[in-house]
Amino acid sequence: MNRIVMVGGLVVVAGLAVAVYRAKLGAEETQGRIDGLKAEATKVEKEIAVLKAEEAYLTRPERIGPIARERLGLEQAAPGQYVAPEALKQRLGEERLTLPSTPEAVPAAPATDGHAEQ
Amino acid sequence: MSVLDPPYEEDVWGPRRVRMVAAVLALVFVVIVGRSAWVVFNGPDRSAGDVAPVEQVRRADIVDRDGQLLVTTLQGWSLAADPSAIWEVDEVVGALKSVFPSLNTTQMTQALSDKKRRFVWVRRGISERERRAVKDLGMEALRFIEEPQRVYPNGALAGHLLGYTGVDGDGLEGVEKVYDELLKAGGDPLRLTIDASVQFVLEQELQAAQEQFTMIGAAGIVMDANTGAIRAIASWPTSDPRKRGDEPAEAKTNRAINVRPELGSIYKPLTVAAALEAGKLSVTDRFDVSAPVKIGAITVRDPHPLPNARSVTAGDIIAHSSNIGSSLIAQRIGPEALKTFLGDVGLLGGVAINGPQTASPLPPAEWNETSMATVAFGHGIGVSPLAFAMTYTPFATGGELVTPTFVESSDPASVKRKRVMSRETAAAVLAMLRRTVTEGSGKLAEAVGYEVAGKTGTAEKPTPDGYDPNRNITSFAAVFPASRPQFVVLVVLDEAEPRTGATRTASVTAAMIAGKVIARAAPLLDVQPVLGVAAVQAASLQGTEGVAQ
Repeated sequence: MNRIVMVGGLVVVAGLAVAVYRAKLGAEETQGRIDGLKAEATKVEKEIAVLKAEEAYLTRPERIGPIARERLGLEQAAPGQYVAPEALKQRLGEERLTLPSTPEAVPAAPATDGHAEQ
Repeated sequence: MSVLDPPYEEDVWGPRRVRMVAAVLALVFVVIVGRSAWVVFNGPDRSAGDVAPVEQVRRADIVDRDGQLLVTTLQGWSLAADPSAIWEVDEVVGALKSVFPSLNTTQMTQALSDKKRRFVWVRRGISERERRAVKDLGMEALRFIEEPQRVYPNGALAGHLLGYTGVDGDGLEGVEKVYDELLKAGGDPLRLTIDASVQFVLEQELQAAQEQFTMIGAAGIVMDANTGAIRAIASWPTSDPRKRGDEPAEAKTNRAINVRPELGSIYKPLTVAAALEAGKLSVTDRFDVSAPVKIGAITVRDPHPLPNARSVTAGDIIAHSSNIGSSLIAQRIGPEALKTFLGDVGLLGGVAINGPQTASPLPPAEWNETSMATVAFGHGIGVSPLAFAMTYTPFATGGELVTPTFVESSDPASVKRKRVMSRETAAAVLAMLRRTVTEGSGKLAEAVGYEVAGKTGTAEKPTPDGYDPNRNITSFAAVFPASRPQFVVLVVLDEAEPRTGATRTASVTAAMIAGKVIARAAPLLDVQPVLGVAAVQAASLQGTEGVAQ
């Protein structure tokens, strides 16, 4: 009886040892995947930081101003270009300030504004 | 003895041995089961040397009020050398010199000649071009090390304000220094009150001023009068943070914060406000400013006679900038009251500004009749332009002094306000400032649609031998738009002389630059132009034509 218990115990212990070993291997594998994902996330974060810096570099006022002026013909809004609400009413009339009721009534916008083709 | 003899019959240890082995096995079983259970429920034990790598905290970015990136941290490269792997030190140093012309060859030769060393920094923070050039040298003893580096995508924009970090990432100047601990902690970007577009406009106009005037320096400030938010602050010559302080002293000096010039007549509105507030002056009171007056130990003169000089109001004194009139007004309240008022508006120190540290004020050594008379028109007292810009906020807010701030906050309670004059006083002085631009010395500051209200200031520069009549500081302090004030603008030019040979007063130098700054900055700051009925109709027609086109 003792021998049976002993052998059974040994089998259970061996089984548990194998299970623990496999669990350990699985954990290490998972940890490896996590580390890989972390490294990838760090790499992506670095790439995002570079892209943000490039975006800031490309959109800096020193660069954008001349481009807007020379290629698009844009200038800073002059005070005369602002229109007070009272003037809008006077110019357009109240009825034109009401939006069309159906989308179909909205005139189609041109495909390009001309400047984009330059 | 036969093998069949019962040798163990008397071996009493037999069964005990079996039990002992069973007990040991049972113990091992319990330990393994226990440990397995622990692993299952508690996860792997990482305490024994298997420590997760500690990630370096990335220094936080700095952005403007709209989130435009001003400073960020990217991984860059530094160059190091292993002296023990170098045979011909002179050859290596010579090759390095060809890539880095500013390399100190003596120091580098000495460092690389020490064969006991395995590591020597050659250059921290090298560019990609330099990295490629070093790679092309093909020297095995040189190696690149990846390091975080501060990057300024806008170049020198707001360089004085932003400051810079050292090679080890410690903030050494400007915002980088003031908020060093916060930035080192990483996390969300530090959002400044600066508007990059307005900053650019201000810097560009100060730079452009040099084409019209010879000058040795300039400073400018655009401040939201209601919140204290500094939307732009510039000093010319500019400082490039990428050079990490390796610049001439003129470029390193922040003239908006770290200098304290005598700013001249832009103090006169404060003198008038002090007298109005003390009840010693009425806007209808008249003064005779036709002749010099002696106050204390000095005789006060006006460089140019005023129209109707025998009978002028405080408004005339401001509009045409009369030193005599300003001193006479100060005389009504006396030196102590003037000192108290100037202290209230922060000109004698004591106002803590959330941002880079400003130069301490330089008040008169003694407050008496003489100093009172000169301070009344902005001589004998020196403060930083930033501290002075703050003093015009009461004229825009109906009497409340608003402390400047450099960090954007969405909490209205964070705005530091202090009432320093009544609404009536603020409104009266604001009207005088507007008149100064429409018909007085500040005409060139007018920006159509933005109702500039301001005051010119021309101050001779003090020297050990007295004031130098050939060198001056010209300034223009403004509030706009006058009918619903939103912003304070201050422009200060150091030794500006028109290249046309015209007189070097603020009315033709600083006033003009301030007007240009306002005209360009106002739309960027969403300031709606103030247009009269006729102007509205004209604008309406123009708008129609614009749409038709």
